[in-house]
Parts: sequence; structure tokens; C-alpha cells
Amino acid sequence: MATTTATLNITSDVASTFPINISKLMTMTKAGVTTGLEETTGLRTKKFTTTTAAVIVEHDQLTDDKAHKLYIRNASTDKSNFFYIAYNASAAAATTTETIGKLYGQDFMLMPYSGNVNITVASNGADTQYLEYMVFADGIVAAKG
Amino acid sequence: MATTTATVSISSGDLQPGNTLSISAGSTLMQAGLTTGLTQVESGVISLASGVESRLGPLATEMSSDAHDIASYLYICNTATDETFYTEFGIHETVIGRLYAGDWMFIPWNASDDSAELELEAENGAQVIEYAWFNNDFILTAAAS
Repeated sequence: MATTTATLNITSDVASTFPINISKLMTMTKAGVTTGLEETTGLRTKKFTTTTAAVIVEHDQLTDDKAHKLYIRNASTDKSNFFYIAYNASAAAATTTETIGKLYGQDFMLMPYSGNVNITVASNGADTQYLEYMVFADGIVAAKG
Repeated sequence: MATTTATVSISSGDLQPGNTLSISAGSTLMQAGLTTGLTQVESGVISLASGVESRLGPLATEMSSDAHDIASYLYICNTATDETFYTEFGIHETVIGRLYAGDWMFIPWNASDDSAELELEAENGAQVIEYAWFNNDFILTAAAS
């Protein structure tokens, strides 16, 4: 059994009288048990130069309704550019069902993922941007020969 | 100017054979497209009854404006300890993933249209979640006239 941990730290002085300090450790486990996740898509890096939407995670490669975790990071440094991140078969835009959010330069996300629908992304413009992403999987469906 | 930073560290010594996984990322969270820090935060602890759909944040009807298409970041942690417990996380009527006991998530969230509301539903038992939502444009329910 593999052991994979993720630690999140958030600090903020937005509320000056009660500064926020969040620190959470998560051990990634399979659905409903204490067994660690054992599979991954591996870490991928992709260069984008257009606004054309692209599928970065194909749901049919993962077992449905499991405890997958999805990590995505906008590796670019420009805070004026972003990627739309959507839980959608083929589209990602401001009003796409369901666009999760905008990932600006240097921003990251880590979330639970059912594996039932593709993850689709789109760059906001033609400036070169890089996206890093990885699925920590609770079941990968092997490609058919 | 307030400063909000988020960092994540993901590590595993045995998920990828022959390759120790070590991901570290961090970002100073800014207002959309700017290098100005976020200015508002909402945080709390919520008890979720089992099998009951609950909304987190504004109503869908309160988000029907591009004015709310902003940089917005959401942290949620499921504080349950029973590994069979999970909270479904979704946007509008679409379930995106399951946040199992002890798991946390951190995502950008766009309150960009009237179908982008966040929904949570505890499964297999009542659960307590903690959350923090950082942005610069909270949407409050209009007072009755």
C-alpha cells in the first residue's frame, strides 16, 4: 500500500483582528477504507497558446464514483492570465456547466474528483501558459488493446 | 494591502516506483487579473445532516452577474474520522467529488452565473465541515423591503 500525503497551509491577514492560519494534512485513501491510493496518471505538463478548450483528464480512464484527487497548477507567473477549469466533457468557459473556477498564474487546486466526467480547461488568451496536473487515482481503467 | 498565501506539499515515497514524489507549490492569492491582494473572507464550521443537500455561499440567483466573475478561493475540510463517511461536493446540481473523512480541498471558485452555487451533502452520517472562502466581492442577500 502506498502512502501519499498532502499538506495545505493558508495564511491571511484579510481580517486584521483574527489572522487566519490553516494547516491541514491529508492522507489520500481509497473510498470508504483506510487503504492508501495506489495509482496515478503521473504528473503532466502542457503548454497552451490558444483559447481552444482541451480535455486534460478523460473520465473513462478512471473508475466512476471513487475517491480520486485532482491536482492542477498554473505554472505561469503572469497573474493577469488564467485557465478556466471545468467539470465538463469538452468545454470550459465562464458560464460552462460546470466551470469550477479560474486558475491564475501560480495558483493551484487540489480537489476530490468523482471520475464521472472529463476535466476540461481553456486558456483565457493567446499568451503562452503552462499547466501542471496529476490525478491520484482510486482505480484506473486500463486501455483496451 | 492584505496578504493571503496558500501553499501545498504533496509527497509519497512509494506511489511511483523508483521515484519519490515531492510536489511543492505556493501562490499569493490576488484579485482577478491584478497584483492586489484579496480583501474579504468568510469562514466557519458547519454541521451537515446526513442525506440533506446544503448550500455553501450565496444563492444561485444572487450570482447572475458578470460582476461576480472574480478570483475566489475556497477551502473545505471534512473533520469526520469514520472512513466510510463522505460529503459530496458539487456545483449547482452536478456532483464533482466526494470529500472523505479527514480530506480537504482547495479550489478557485467562480461565482460567475446563476448556476454556480456550491452544494454539499453528507453521506453515511452527519458530518462537520470547516471552510474558508477568500475573495473581494461577497454577495449578500438583499434585505427585504
